[in-house]
Amino acid sequence: MLLFRSEDDVQTWCREQEIAAGMLFDLERLWRLAGMWYRDRLDANWRRKTISERQAILDAVGLRGPFWHLTPSHESGR
Amino acid sequence: MTAVTAQDSDIRLWIYQHFADTGCAPSPVEIAARFGLTPHQTEQALHRLQRGVDALVLIPGSSYIWMAEPFSAVPTSFTVRSDRRQWWGNCIWDALGILNLLGIDGEVSTACPNSGQRLRVVVSDGALAEAPGVVHFAVQARDWWRDIGFT
Repeated sequence: MLLFRSEDDVQTWCREQEIAAGMLFDLERLWRLAGMWYRDRLDANWRRKTISERQAILDAVGLRGPFWHLTPSHESGR
Repeated sequence: MTAVTAQDSDIRLWIYQHFADTGCAPSPVEIAARFGLTPHQTEQALHRLQRGVDALVLIPGSSYIWMAEPFSAVPTSFTVRSDRRQWWGNCIWDALGILNLLGIDGEVSTACPNSGQRLRVVVSDGALAEAPGVVHFAVQARDWWRDIGFT
């Protein structure tokens, strides 16, 4: 996940890198996501979140739809 | 799934605390010394933490820590600073995650991958005070961990 100056920069970069454009959103949303995702990493009883728990966090910050769907088969530590 | 032991959990927490305190990953030798383990036992523990609960990402083919998300053991384009302390995040998400996890104010420095313009994100009083630019997720969620380095 990268931070760009503007949406025009994203489009130019994707075209030059021959990468399909993904999803865009602002830092406020990412700040909320980062807090919910990582807040327990320094807890002694940390455990890996289940896929359902991770999906619920994405939902809670409004990241819904096929792009944000975590499949049961994926391997994740986040 | 590889079974993780109680001591593995203690090692995980110590690694995270080491990152938080120093900005660096401990080496396998340091971990072995801290927990009274042989080199082989240490390697086994680190690989269990990677395979069993995805608590770490090791440098491929080694037992050296690459990532303990949100921390990166190697320099990245996402520098996190608070007072005189410094860390590296694996991406903009992780860089913000470091400040969030540590519950501190600070800033993230990066640059727009297209224009090269320096971008500075500032957290003050636990909230974003300067939030320039736009975040781009190139990889859909189901593929985030297929190539974590690219993601």
